[in-house]
Amino acid sequence: MSHLKFLLAVWKANLQSAMEYRASFLAQMFGMIANNTIYFLIWVIFFDRFNDVRGWGLGDMYVTFGVSASAFGLVSILFGNTFSLGEIITRGRLDYYLSLPRPVLLHAVSSRMISSGAGDFVYGFLSYAVSGSFSWDGLLRFGLAVLLAAVVFGSFLILVQSLTFWIGSTSNLIQVATNAMVTFAIYPITLFDKSARLILFTVIPAALMGTVPASFTRHFTWQTLAILLGGAVAFLLLAIFVFQRGLRRYESGSAIQVEV
Amino acid sequence: MKKYWAIFKLQLANGLAYPGEFIGRSLMILPFMWIFYQLWRVTFEASASTEINGLTLQHTLWYLVIAEVIELSRPRVANTISDAVKDGSIAHILSKPYSFLGYHYSSSMADTVFRALLNLVLGGGMAWLLVGPPPSLWGFVVVLPLLLGAWALNYCIAALIGLLAFWVEDISAFQWIYQKLAFILGGLLIPLNFYPTWLRTIAEALPFSAMTYAPASLFVSPTLNGFLTAAGLQLLWLLLFVGGLGLLYRRSVTVLTVNGG
Repeated sequence: MSHLKFLLAVWKANLQSAMEYRASFLAQMFGMIANNTIYFLIWVIFFDRFNDVRGWGLGDMYVTFGVSASAFGLVSILFGNTFSLGEIITRGRLDYYLSLPRPVLLHAVSSRMISSGAGDFVYGFLSYAVSGSFSWDGLLRFGLAVLLAAVVFGSFLILVQSLTFWIGSTSNLIQVATNAMVTFAIYPITLFDKSARLILFTVIPAALMGTVPASFTRHFTWQTLAILLGGAVAFLLLAIFVFQRGLRRYESGSAIQVEV
Repeated sequence: MKKYWAIFKLQLANGLAYPGEFIGRSLMILPFMWIFYQLWRVTFEASASTEINGLTLQHTLWYLVIAEVIELSRPRVANTISDAVKDGSIAHILSKPYSFLGYHYSSSMADTVFRALLNLVLGGGMAWLLVGPPPSLWGFVVVLPLLLGAWALNYCIAALIGLLAFWVEDISAFQWIYQKLAFILGGLLIPLNFYPTWLRTIAEALPFSAMTYAPASLFVSPTLNGFLTAAGLQLLWLLLFVGGLGLLYRRSVTVLTVNGG
């Protein structure tokens, strides 16, 4: 409970900080909505020419793209530092979080809000609204699916960035892994054979960020919910475990800095 | 010209000093090419045809290699220029005996050339393994000058966006929208051959197709006429953008205020 109160206080401070530059915040939010809308036109053009890809049509893509965008946005808004945790470790900036009586990982990842994430988050819901499969109970499932997909995505980022504890600077690896995760999440799972699908559920769990939550949004089944929930919990626990193990190896030049 | 050549060589030497960094960044092309292969393999299978709108699977994948090489290697100067404007370091370059825009062009082109080579080796290698060799060796001859034209156009647009930092606080939104317009209207992810006719007509009338579609499609189906048309289009757009960039730059410098030393 105290962790939740702490998180709420951090998020409030992040929001107030973003609102200091309100015009910039709004420009980034609406810019990102426009950006995603234009990007999605690719799929409109594709499915206009080729009606479906092994049973996947444009309606499926709206939901898949929507759930991935909202999950990406949610992580950017609430845990923006998951995108730069590796850099924080490399530069010794974990010292600041270690010196405070709060959970290091939770504090570090929640200390930044990426304003453009608000655009991604909103866009996802708009995409679902126009998908042709909108329903009020579907909207509830969409919300839950976004939450669980965000847990998977955030955990994946923490996992990859925590490798910095062992192999030093991982900026290239992080960039490639993040791009691969986001790219694979927005492509139809029916494209891939069994071995590739195994990769997309484990090493790069993009299926848990796109296809599975999208499928859960369209049709409720206990099996899909179990896969999503199990995947989210497993990846979150693994991410926390790997970060904590890595933290034992952390060293810095005692550069205690003020975080602004 | 000699000083810009020296800047180019210096930046190239900087890049070569950290090859791991460049190679690491270039690895990104591998998952892209793999997923493109999966998408188009399934699409060609579903159409039960080896050729769609004049392109085979081999053509399509090699088209995408060149399109990705152009996109992943293009000069990314918008942020560099915007940062220089915001933190005032623009004053440092303005006091030097070379042009601000010329300096950034030479410097960014060194990164571009190096990155393009790596992307071509990695992306091309993967395409070769998946669908076989490039359809025509003449494609390499045709694509080289068009690549230079595409990057020059890209540089002009990126620099125009970067200079907007004189008036707006954050240029990210302009960058995202430009990038996505280049994706859609340039035919980066889907060749324009597969577009509806009306959209293809619009796309071909804009500079984005001269930057991506023209070089990539001529790489897989090189013709002299096609090359001359594409080069002419690039030249026309370049004249327009260089003029626009020059005007905006002159106006930017007049509103520049530098405090301190």
